Amino acid sequence: MNGFRFGLAALAAVALVCGRGGPAAAAGDEPWTLDANNWQEGKDLLPEPVLKRLQKGEYWFKVVPVDPQKFHHNYSQAFWDATAANEGKYDVEPKQCGLRDKSTGKIPVFVFGLPFPKIDKNDPQAGCKIAHDFNFAGLQGGGGGATFTLNGVDSGGQFRRVKAFLHTQGFQGRHFGPLKDNPENLQGQALGGAIEPLDVEGVSTLTKRYWDWESQDALWAYVPSTRRARRVNASTRSDPVAGLDIFADDLNCYAGKIEYYRWKLVGEQNILAPVLQPYPFPAKPVSPTRQIIETPYMPAGYEVPNAKGAPWWIQQNLVFIPRPVWVVEGQSSDPYYNFGKVIMYFDKEMFRIYWKMVHNRAGEYFYTAMCGYHFVKNDETFSAVFPNLVVGVNDKTNRSALGGRYQSSFLEQHWDPAYFSLRTIAHMTD
Amino acid sequence: MTERGTVFLVLVLAALGAWLWLSRAPRPASAPPAAPLLRVPAADVARVELAEGDERVVAVRRDGAWADAAGRAWDAAVVADLIETLRGLAPIMVVDAAPADPADYGLGPGATRLALAGARGERLLALDVGERNPAWTGLYVRVDDARAVVLVGAVLRWEMEKLRDARPGGKP
Repeated sequence: MNGFRFGLAALAAVALVCGRGGPAAAAGDEPWTLDANNWQEGKDLLPEPVLKRLQKGEYWFKVVPVDPQKFHHNYSQAFWDATAANEGKYDVEPKQCGLRDKSTGKIPVFVFGLPFPKIDKNDPQAGCKIAHDFNFAGLQGGGGGATFTLNGVDSGGQFRRVKAFLHTQGFQGRHFGPLKDNPENLQGQALGGAIEPLDVEGVSTLTKRYWDWESQDALWAYVPSTRRARRVNASTRSDPVAGLDIFADDLNCYAGKIEYYRWKLVGEQNILAPVLQPYPFPAKPVSPTRQIIETPYMPAGYEVPNAKGAPWWIQQNLVFIPRPVWVVEGQSSDPYYNFGKVIMYFDKEMFRIYWKMVHNRAGEYFYTAMCGYHFVKNDETFSAVFPNLVVGVNDKTNRSALGGRYQSSFLEQHWDPAYFSLRTIAHMTD
Repeated sequence: MTERGTVFLVLVLAALGAWLWLSRAPRPASAPPAAPLLRVPAADVARVELAEGDERVVAVRRDGAWADAAGRAWDAAVVADLIETLRGLAPIMVVDAAPADPADYGLGPGATRLALAGARGERLLALDVGERNPAWTGLYVRVDDARAVVLVGAVLRWEMEKLRDARPGGKP
């Protein structure tokens, strides 16, 4: 149950008219559908195991055109200005790929924006720098949360459903500068808990990620039946969550500390990127520090009568946009981590991971995760990007788990300092 | 119960115990971990050749750098990745010890062959590489011209694709 700590989040979407796929449509100016009839057009746009399911008619894709310039501005001008100002300020230390301030030779005090505005594909450290950019793109929102579901789905439909929540607070990478108090020297912290069903209710986790190069994340799991919060190893992020085919490290397609992995840039290509909609959702202020974002639900095949494709395939409110990506290999340096080589597809500009293919320690490919997002922006002073969907597919067992699909999420700029604590997780069911 | 009866029961019990002891299944010896496909240090590899039909992708180590047969430089990291993968990959299982038709596994005539040799031309590893298994988790291979078909992790396919894509001069 300790996998709830980095819960997954919900989503919603915008139904887009889809035209029939064809060479002209595929050229990029009209929405089109990629399915078993024209699967060849997806050959260079999808990971191979996904293409195989497309060919078999299990998957289909609503592909919509996107204005690259407009998409770029899904992040605020403040974010892009800070990114430009970061040029030349940072590098990475060679031992662990830790982010380093060139002027001090130490970890930077505070970073906002992408630390590496330009990636040189010939740089031996390019993979590591891409990973840091990914981290800081995700941190820009500063913190928030959502209540979401995890759904285990096989060829017969849903076999398990877990409802959970996740709350996060970021200290690094946030708009509006660093928080005044950070006594534990954290990059961020998270608190998650299970709400349903009864057998997991109250199971909760607390995670603290330290702002240094060496420390492992500190993770605690609380199980109501034992009334104990127990420290667990950070490598449990590669354990299945609640027995489902989904892993805590699937949030954003990578939820670990950057320094845990060895990163290697191995290629570049275009890929179909899953998003709720290509452009940002508005956030509605509900208090001086909190904003709410409403997003539509994404029903999957098992929830829709006469659905097309695999029971876990999303049927509505998810679209795909062609995006240029870096292909990066990651491999954990932790011997207790279950995954071997992981192949990830990072947006070259927005630094989101859209897909990942996972091998186990024996080198067997077994799992692909699709990671969907939505963007939030009201003006050029603030923006955020939310992970709103993970579709994890275990090709070894032919089972899937869906994570996220929330209809409401929030951004919170000022958490009670006492909230992210063992006391909170131990009293969740009081 | 009489004394005779007690002795009889004790004897029966002892006989049952002896029978159980003698008839128990031998404990299987714990199987040693399977040896990796490539059992020499990466530095011992001086030549890598991937042959698919008429196509050959060749990397030769010269003065510490990798080059193709025409002397064009390789991206050393790609060759190193393949070698390291082979040093880490071990057969997962024997799929078919004596295949009636190797072509069933994609191992018929013309199958992809990956060969590694040392500085003196000695063979370090020869793999015939066949199809993926139905779940695509692994690849069927034959090691060093052995008859048996074994399954190895599909990460090998990924590394072979990287090698093809990175060949000096690009894909033909």
